[in-house]
Amino acid sequence: MLQFAHPAYLWGLLAIALPILVHLFNQRRPRPLAFGAIEFVLRSQRQKARRLRLRQILLLALRCLLIAAVALALARPSLKPRGVEAAQTSGPQATALVLDASLSMRYRIGTRTLFEKARAEALSALERLGPDEPAAVGLCAGPGGFTGGGMGAPSFDRLAVRRLLQSAQPTYLASDLTGCLAAAAKALGESPVAGKRIIAFSDLAAHSIRLDAPPPLVPPAANAPPGSPGIRPNVVLVDAARASDLPNAAVVATAVRPSASLGPRGYEVVATIANSGTQMVSGLQVSLKVGPNTVAKGFVDVPARGTAKKTLGAVLPPGVVGGRVELARNEAQGLDEDDGQDFVVHVPRDVKALIVDGAPASLRSRDEAFFVEAALAPARTGGRIHAQTLDADAAANAPLDGYDVILLLNVAAPPKAFAEKLRQAAVQRGAGIFIALGDHVDPDAYNDSLGDLLPRPLHLIKTAAEPGAQGTEERAARFGTVEWAHPLFRVFGPAEREGLESARTFRYALLKPEGQAHTLASYDDGAPALIEKPMGRGRVLLYTSTASRTWTDWPIRVSFLPVLQQTVSWLADALEQRQPLPAQVGEERTLTPVAGARVEKVLGPDGQAVPFRRETAHPDDAVVPLAAPGPYRALVAPRGVEPREEPTLTFVAGLDPKESDLRRVDEAELKAQLGGAESAQVAASSAAAQGAHGTPLWSGLLLLGALALLGEGALTRK
Amino acid sequence: MTLPASNVPAVLARLGPLQVQARKVMEGVLTGLHKSPHHGQSVEFSEHKEYAPGDEIRHIDWRAFAKLDKYYVKRFEMETNLRALLVLDVSGSMAYGRGPMTKLQYAAVCAGALAYLLSRQGDQVGLCLAGDGGISPGVREFLPFASSPSHVQELLHILEGAQGRGPTLLPAALDFAAEKAGRRALVIVLTDLFDATDRSIPALKMLRSRRHDVLLLQTHDREELEFPFDDPTRFLSMEDERQIEAQPRQIRESYLQQIRSFLESTRKDLARADVEVEQIATDAAPDRVLLKLLARREAA
Repeated sequence: MLQFAHPAYLWGLLAIALPILVHLFNQRRPRPLAFGAIEFVLRSQRQKARRLRLRQILLLALRCLLIAAVALALARPSLKPRGVEAAQTSGPQATALVLDASLSMRYRIGTRTLFEKARAEALSALERLGPDEPAAVGLCAGPGGFTGGGMGAPSFDRLAVRRLLQSAQPTYLASDLTGCLAAAAKALGESPVAGKRIIAFSDLAAHSIRLDAPPPLVPPAANAPPGSPGIRPNVVLVDAARASDLPNAAVVATAVRPSASLGPRGYEVVATIANSGTQMVSGLQVSLKVGPNTVAKGFVDVPARGTAKKTLGAVLPPGVVGGRVELARNEAQGLDEDDGQDFVVHVPRDVKALIVDGAPASLRSRDEAFFVEAALAPARTGGRIHAQTLDADAAANAPLDGYDVILLLNVAAPPKAFAEKLRQAAVQRGAGIFIALGDHVDPDAYNDSLGDLLPRPLHLIKTAAEPGAQGTEERAARFGTVEWAHPLFRVFGPAEREGLESARTFRYALLKPEGQAHTLASYDDGAPALIEKPMGRGRVLLYTSTASRTWTDWPIRVSFLPVLQQTVSWLADALEQRQPLPAQVGEERTLTPVAGARVEKVLGPDGQAVPFRRETAHPDDAVVPLAAPGPYRALVAPRGVEPREEPTLTFVAGLDPKESDLRRVDEAELKAQLGGAESAQVAASSAAAQGAHGTPLWSGLLLLGALALLGEGALTRK
Repeated sequence: MTLPASNVPAVLARLGPLQVQARKVMEGVLTGLHKSPHHGQSVEFSEHKEYAPGDEIRHIDWRAFAKLDKYYVKRFEMETNLRALLVLDVSGSMAYGRGPMTKLQYAAVCAGALAYLLSRQGDQVGLCLAGDGGISPGVREFLPFASSPSHVQELLHILEGAQGRGPTLLPAALDFAAEKAGRRALVIVLTDLFDATDRSIPALKMLRSRRHDVLLLQTHDREELEFPFDDPTRFLSMEDERQIEAQPRQIRESYLQQIRSFLESTRKDLARADVEVEQIATDAAPDRVLLKLLARREAA
């Protein structure tokens, strides 16, 4: 349907009468001339009569066309698309252009992304706005609605709006299109122009639209009487995907855990792969990369609208390891950004332990080190802990270099020289020392020999109950207070704590209340069971009972094994770290360094420094806004010292899995949410989004006029 | 028509020293500068010709018969006066001309000048006005051959009174002229040759075929040659009721092509028939045109 922006110019069509009058004038007023050679005039005229007549008619037509084209072009006609009829109103409209800049807009069809298409459509829509229509633009991404401080009031500064659109880039964030439309409607309220229109350019993914939200309303004008209702704007949603299905497979979650079956430092990476398409994806290749190398590959079938898990295993190097799970790229179309997910895993280093057996026995089960050796056996630690057992005499003469942990099990008070070697190992090399007691331990001799190596001096040996005697079970001591948050006990969930609490201890050492030490666990009578003390760069942990069944039944309980393994790792400073909690793009992550250090710099996934802020309460911490997916690394240092990378603070920011689900919203429901078909339309292109303007025809008319002018000139010159 | 008589003396003053000479031998009754084409009555022997039946027996050279035993007839050359007939087209189209002179006026000046010259050297001059009927179909007026000054005056008087009107009837006038010329004569035809019937050219050829020396002075107005009109024009025929409205700019190219073709074909056609053609625009000075013409004929 044809419409005109300036219909008054149509009066110019009356000027068509001019060439007609000229034509008639030329036809009716020839000058008479008696001419001698009329025969030749007659012959020429006869020869050319038909062509001349045709030319005259053509000239007349071209001149009429020229005037008509100019008059029509000035009236700025446009072809109104059928689909948006209901959304049109007469007169100029303040227009808010909402450009969806969420992650899903990075979806690629061929080589062009939905965002690029949407941006081009938005620019076209801007060009088509009338000169009396103010415009504002907003990039819809992130939980807060618009990025970059929201949408301003519509203005006539087209240049600024155009620049903003031209420089717009898609984000990695999720979007809330419903919130953006509401914010755009609010911004439109600041324009005095009566007509209000929102044109949103989006992929119309269902996850970005809340169908239960109220429709966007433009607030009433400031001078409106109180209680005036809001104005319902015309909303045109331009579908960047043009109603086509957007099949997509994505890695939506990654879990990394040790795998004993893979040997020392063997890990399995479990990737959850989602398929938002309507067709099952078969034989999708999944790769596991560590650094630049692909270390494992597999294939997975993902059902339509479903998920599948794929486990890939690899042996990882010790330290902080960054890796990535990747899907094979779909060349034709897809969202490339969610085809992979990074992860960071803190792989503990190998530990070398020396078990000093204070009470060896020929019967293995009676050997003091039996349970400890069993707990640290390679089969149970994945080969991560290499333990060597020596008796007390051999140990006293053996060099302690190279051992990360030395475990003294029921060793009689060692010679002072050996005690000094232990101290040196702890203080200088950071070695850990675990001391378990037993019948060979004389408290006074121990206090004398080990001195400040002991967290607290031994006082005396307390017998709570005699093993095997009547009522032993009731009288035996139990673990009372346990610091469950400590690395030693962190492995116990609430359900598993019973296994530790049920252990019975019949005899244990009481300690003198001297010295500064940290009690990790104590018996139900309050006596320390496990007590720790830092020693230089190392630590000393004292267990006040035996590591064999002599004084306690703990070694035969399931809970003994993880605690001992954790203890060795803890003392060797090679504790299997809790994997960093996953972060999501769009969130903020607070990085807290160790006491006395300060986060100086944070490097983003591209290796460049990313901005962060500090909070007054924790000036050494860094609060990092996460704008892009991938690994983030922190450089920390005490004040005034060159910062170095702190691997334990490394983490990965992932994408919002919602954005990988590109299922489209139901159009009928969407229109209903936006206020019905009267004010909401879904269009396939910016031309359809033009509302009152439709497809402009004036440029074509001007071209037609120019062609008519050229034709007229060519004909008259002949 | 008023003959611009003042032009004639001026033209004559330029032509005076020249003598008009016919290119070919003419039969004449007056002895003069022109060689007579008639054999048999001259005093000057020309050649022998073998006798053939029909030849006059009195011209047989008996001396030659005695020597050669064959009959030969003597042939003689005899100088004679020229008979020139001026045929002037006085049709309507000859009245065209928006410059100083119409085509008819221009042709009349040329005719008058030639009559003066011819009579001054003793040649006989006649005049035939080719136009709508007067004394005969196609002949409005005819003045027989004579060479006296009074004859020339009369001829000029007729020229002065000639009016351009009516259709071109040149073929009939040329037939009339051929008949009146009798023996070989110089026939000077002054016309624009705008003949709707296309019979004028054959008539000129016929005249030549009767062994007359034919000179065509084809006169045109400059506007007829260049068609310099721009405004829409209703062209009216000067010889009949025809008229046509045209945009001159639109047909100029075609018109020029046609008239050039007409002039070219006329010239070539008549040249093949041994008719001398001089195509003249009326803005050219008549004396220069005649001087050039006579000089060329003298050279030939």
